[in-house]
Amino acid sequence: MECDKCSRDAVMHAAYSGAHLCDDHFCASVEKRVRRRIREDNMLPRDATPEDPQTWVIGLSGGKDSVVLTHILDETFGRDPRIELVALTIHEGIQGYRDKSVDACVELADDLDIRHEVVSYEEEFGVQMDDVVQKDPENMAACAYCGVFRRDLLERFADELDADKLFTGHNLDDEAQTALMNFFEGDLRQVAKHFDASIGDFEKRRDAGDFIPRAKPLRDVPEKEVALYAHLKDLPAHITECPHSSEAYRGEIQQLLLKLEENHPGTRHSIMAGYEELAELVADEYRGDGQVDLNECERCGSKTASDVCRKCRLLESIEAV
Amino acid sequence: MDVTVEVVGEETHEVTVGDDGTYADLVKAVDLSPHEVSVLVDGRPVPEDQPVEVDRVKVLRLIKGGRD
Repeated sequence: MECDKCSRDAVMHAAYSGAHLCDDHFCASVEKRVRRRIREDNMLPRDATPEDPQTWVIGLSGGKDSVVLTHILDETFGRDPRIELVALTIHEGIQGYRDKSVDACVELADDLDIRHEVVSYEEEFGVQMDDVVQKDPENMAACAYCGVFRRDLLERFADELDADKLFTGHNLDDEAQTALMNFFEGDLRQVAKHFDASIGDFEKRRDAGDFIPRAKPLRDVPEKEVALYAHLKDLPAHITECPHSSEAYRGEIQQLLLKLEENHPGTRHSIMAGYEELAELVADEYRGDGQVDLNECERCGSKTASDVCRKCRLLESIEAV
Repeated sequence: MDVTVEVVGEETHEVTVGDDGTYADLVKAVDLSPHEVSVLVDGRPVPEDQPVEVDRVKVLRLIKGGRD
């Protein structure tokens, strides 16, 4: 089977568009979509200058998505004096898994000669995920604890690095899953938050105020294509599944989407196209409506709606066991 | 034809497909979705809608894991 753009052997078929592409044209296609998303969402503001550059912090976990994102951002902007890129890696303390993925991060940052910061739960919280899972004081899925801790560290360190934006490697599958979950749960405030915090065009979002805005330029690229890109470029992505990984509801949604995409190619894309429009309308409607005032956590100072933030409450529960 | 399907890091299966079978059919035969894997022939990815031309393939799975 030949590439649609040249006569070389195709390495992939995009069922949603019907395209067959060789390795070179496929990789160029991924890069083009990332750059288009950066441009269309106005991620690089017009007033960025070499004298007053933007700082973009990239959440680099060592998995395929963040590795591909970091690689493409470096290739596109690594020598652009209007932007300073910093990769931020979090070590959760998961035996036999995280050490390898952190190694992948260090290797990539060295290859790209990009600034790289590594922080760990052990150093920052005095806990490791393996121990948290063992204790399980609140009887929650491992991801529920880990997500709270990781987001806290991403936010805190991105702030310390003076980040203008925090880039994450969410792909099309991730975002379509989140869109459906928000929709099925009927949580319109969450939809509005999703728009303002991470998927809206930067010129249409409400100012995030207390939080660093998220940017997700990989969100037009299906997960399988991100993995294929990493493979073809021989990027040092760590591919082993986290041993504590389990997100039952998201897993159900994932299977649903895979079946829909198989029977109706393009489903993920159309979900996201409609959802983005809907999210913007909902955000306009819900902004300022019953807005929760945030104050500083009594213990760590991070923004929270209550006196003590969720992370500190979880840490307290862990220490009590 | 008979094809050996190795899911990298997991099991290896023997699958029989018809003359007009595609790589997508091999993937479905081992209970995976063509949208969550890449099929490799001699280490090189192939389009899933291509007819099967070899007797051995590898299937590369995507991973789950925390990301934020």
